[in-house]
Amino acid sequence: MSELSGKSFRSDLNSEGVRVKIIGVGGAGTNAVDRIQMMPQEQINLAAVNTDAQALESSPIGEKLMIGKSVTRGLSTGGDVEIGQTAAEKDETKLRQMVDGQDLIFIVAGLGGGTGSGAAPVISRLASEQGALVIAFVTLPFTFEGARHHEVAENALVAMRSHCDAVIPLPNDLLLQQMDESATVLDAFAQADAWISRGIQSICAMLTQTGLINLDFAMLRKVFEGRGGKTLFGLGRGEGDDFMQEALNDLALCPLLHTPGFAKRADSLLVNIIGGTDLGISHVNQIMTAIAEKFGSKEQIVLGAVVDESCQNTVEICVIGATHVTGYRPERKVRRTAPRIDIAPEPRPSVTKKTPDDELFDTVETKPKPLVHESKLGKKRQPELEIDQEEFTFVSEDEQRGFFENTERNIFDGEDLDVPTYLRRGVRITL
Amino acid sequence: MSQSRIIGAVDIGAASVTVLVGDIVNGRSLNIIGKQDATSEGVKKGEIVDFKAVSNATHAAIMGAEKSAGAQIDSIYLTQTGSHLEGFYNSAAVNVSSSDSRVSEADIARAMSEAKAKKLSDDRLYIHHIRSHFLLDNRVSADPLGMQGEKLEVGYWSIHGDERKVRDHIHVINGFGLNVEDIILSSIASGTVIATEEEKRAGVMVIDMGAGVTDWAIYQNGIVARTGVLPVGSDHITNDLALGLRVNRKYAKKLKTSFGKAVLEQDDRQEKVWMVGDQMIGDRRIPKQSLIQIVRERVEEIYDLVKRQAGELCHEKFLPAGVVLTGGGSHLDQIDLAGEKILGVPIRRGELPSWVHDNLQRHEYTSALGLLHFALSGQSLDDSALQRKQRGLLRRVTQLFVN
Repeated sequence: MSELSGKSFRSDLNSEGVRVKIIGVGGAGTNAVDRIQMMPQEQINLAAVNTDAQALESSPIGEKLMIGKSVTRGLSTGGDVEIGQTAAEKDETKLRQMVDGQDLIFIVAGLGGGTGSGAAPVISRLASEQGALVIAFVTLPFTFEGARHHEVAENALVAMRSHCDAVIPLPNDLLLQQMDESATVLDAFAQADAWISRGIQSICAMLTQTGLINLDFAMLRKVFEGRGGKTLFGLGRGEGDDFMQEALNDLALCPLLHTPGFAKRADSLLVNIIGGTDLGISHVNQIMTAIAEKFGSKEQIVLGAVVDESCQNTVEICVIGATHVTGYRPERKVRRTAPRIDIAPEPRPSVTKKTPDDELFDTVETKPKPLVHESKLGKKRQPELEIDQEEFTFVSEDEQRGFFENTERNIFDGEDLDVPTYLRRGVRITL
Repeated sequence: MSQSRIIGAVDIGAASVTVLVGDIVNGRSLNIIGKQDATSEGVKKGEIVDFKAVSNATHAAIMGAEKSAGAQIDSIYLTQTGSHLEGFYNSAAVNVSSSDSRVSEADIARAMSEAKAKKLSDDRLYIHHIRSHFLLDNRVSADPLGMQGEKLEVGYWSIHGDERKVRDHIHVINGFGLNVEDIILSSIASGTVIATEEEKRAGVMVIDMGAGVTDWAIYQNGIVARTGVLPVGSDHITNDLALGLRVNRKYAKKLKTSFGKAVLEQDDRQEKVWMVGDQMIGDRRIPKQSLIQIVRERVEEIYDLVKRQAGELCHEKFLPAGVVLTGGGSHLDQIDLAGEKILGVPIRRGELPSWVHDNLQRHEYTSALGLLHFALSGQSLDDSALQRKQRGLLRRVTQLFVN
């Protein structure tokens, strides 16, 4: 803690001091983190958590933690969520050490299995209790994997949302859309991993690289803190002569922005542009205008632009944001402006107290669809606003169900009929 | 002196609220004297999700319809749909009691009440009991009274729904200060007018594809044998297009109506269509193939699910008159062809009877027209012997809601 407060002013002025850790949880999560490691990321620590000793052994990641030795004896959970959860809870102290002292923690997990669905929510909770900003990238199972996997993934997603600042779900069904006809399931998993690493890299790049317009960690934190709405996350990339237009088109077609649960308009938005030395202010302005038109007004957008010399003739746009929901309380602002280190010790009582209520609301009141992606943001630091937050959850859950919001789930033989058929059938749509 | 009764037929759908006003003269002839549509708000998948919005839209439509009719509505007939509706078939057999083995009225009453005796859980409400023909010693008989036999059997297709949801619908009407005379299942209301008596006798299936739900009913021997509700409708097609083509709902809907098709043909493979079509900035070209693929997948799934719901009755053998399509969703190009592939039964778009005026000859009005038909015939769906009792019950139920 003292270490943190010692450099708190530095992290606001200069992004170099931000400590970032990426934790892969379970088999899918670890694989995804393995891939990220292939790229040079100097200031980022990687870690893997799994119940399966054998899988963990083969991973090249430096920091590895096997959990639940006493429960599984080093074997996997066999798809049992409860075992995954118990395993994480049994090794809470070790996990706490792993997340201790970090400013930003990415949690990467594949939901639907045992370790990812069981342990990831526990790790999210520990990480946010330690005061870190927690952003989770989770993949959701294919429809053809069956109803049970879906249910498991959904419950885990609900749990994740109550602990993380942002949860970015990647439905495998949707990612398959981006592939060629001949794509195999393995390719689809690789695609999911690629999205995750693109997402993480974009966020990290805005923190670590300097450029035309700087964005820092405090700004990133500000986007999420105190917001109680949906997480918006999109990436667009353009290359070649007309890289600007291409990137904007790519962003418009980004599948993550077109799932039912995503907000199309955001109240606070962070836009980061990574380009080569040929990226001019006129380009940036062009992007801003287009984005403001699509997602909200310019006033609410925080812009960053990074110049990377290796990126000539290309540009990558990363949009990350949150929406206010009705019932948003301005009191939060007070908390938000308070130094982060002061709030860090607080969340623990509130989280433990609030979780049962959250779960009650999420599961009983409006069960989210498998493709609804939303995060419950800024819930954890508000012990004094507990009742308001329950109203909050209720409102936001309702809002987030896309066109078929406010309705009961449309389950037939374990499939949610409100989800487009072509997605569930894996029919690829070219645009 | 002629006696006239002004009836309002109200169909609250996901896309629009339709109110037709009928003048029933001497209980014998029907004149449709008023109509009003209002864009529906707050209905999704056939169920009310925003009571206030639904009330506003419905009240506006009733008011407009009364104005266009120049008359005050006396009572309302209402359609009912939604995935909360369920049906089951229950039959009962009694031994003919008299010594000469001739069926008495008491025998009939006993058989009928036994077949309907199944109790529902507290929150469920019977909407219809639809009687199949009597079986006297396994011989089909429309009216067995006085016939000779040992065993009298009768069965009912009973439809029940969530009481609160049915009550919500009635409350919407009550909120306007009108009483609900009767509630009719949407599929049955549509079926009455869209299929002919001959077709119903032979065996026919009616599929009413609305914006929110797809209602279906199978007729055998002239009466309703099975009904079902699939909470998927043309709103889903629009939603699928919006998500799949990355366009907003407005353009998705426009694309659906202009280019939507349930069958992918060779010519469509290379073609591209404009999203907006007015050369504005941000317009883009969308491959027609993708558009049609999305629509086709959904339409085929709808048919497939209807087939699964209907079970063995959805077979050529039981449906010599095929399938009749109606409802707003049936406008989709080649939706009939797509269905034939899945159901294996000839499908055609229904035609409303010729007595329906030209400006009402639209598939969107089928259910509301069916309601007026019921109001005219004064017929309850339920068998005549118990009609009064049943209607009394329903009235009691509806009155209960008034207070």
